[in-house]
Amino acid sequence: MTFYQSEIQRIKTACFSNEKQLETVIGVKNYIKANYERDLNLDVLSHLKFVSKYHLLRLFKKYYGMTPRQYLIDVRIEKSKEQLQQQLSVTETCFAVGFESLGSFSSLFKAKTGKSPSEYQKEQLSRSNSILKS
Amino acid sequence: MKVTLISIPVLNQEKALQFYTETLGFIKKKDMPLEGGNRWITLVSKEAPDGIEILLEPAPLHFEPSKVYQEALMEKGIPYTQFDVDDVDGEYERLVALGVEFSVKPTVMGTFKFAVFNDTCGNNMQIVEML
Repeated sequence: MTFYQSEIQRIKTACFSNEKQLETVIGVKNYIKANYERDLNLDVLSHLKFVSKYHLLRLFKKYYGMTPRQYLIDVRIEKSKEQLQQQLSVTETCFAVGFESLGSFSSLFKAKTGKSPSEYQKEQLSRSNSILKS
Repeated sequence: MKVTLISIPVLNQEKALQFYTETLGFIKKKDMPLEGGNRWITLVSKEAPDGIEILLEPAPLHFEPSKVYQEALMEKGIPYTQFDVDDVDGEYERLVALGVEFSVKPTVMGTFKFAVFNDTCGNNMQIVEML
């Protein structure tokens, strides 16, 4: 066993030995991934696994390093990139991935990718055109 | 300020280019000749062609501390860096079929699954899937 493998074993035992907690957060994370376009909030997510919402929030942060809401936003932004590449309009994309306001979608998209949704879409279109020409 | 590049020390740039493109599936983005037969080679992933570039850097050949560091990591089985994948098991099977050697088979650790392989250029590399 290498030094790395033994360290992994040690950390696994120290930090990841509570199977029930892991099952809870992995279940919630997978639910968010599969239902990102729905109106998800801590109440809905905590009812899924019969835990209090504050307990879920703590567990999710402990095991994923981010809140369920931050993860949900990441999933929605990744999905919105796919929609924009398929030439859906920015407004259509915004609502298709579950955002309720164009303003918050645009500002979150820019914060995550460094570009506005329309700038991103233009770049992708120009990339596809240049690939077609080459 | 933004992150655009990470460098990976490699013992042979041409061999590394072949392994990282033909076996791992990265795409060559830049390949410029430098002095002494060295090259500025960067790669991107298919999923993020505008994303962060990997620089295949021949540092262990020219800078002793880089060589010492790389050898120490290799000896202890520590990955130099890691790449995200959607399916560690699937990627493990695919790479094993291509002859890649793994020091750690797919292993669950909390909310992640990972595996570690030899990049044939002096490094261990880790692939990671979020569960």
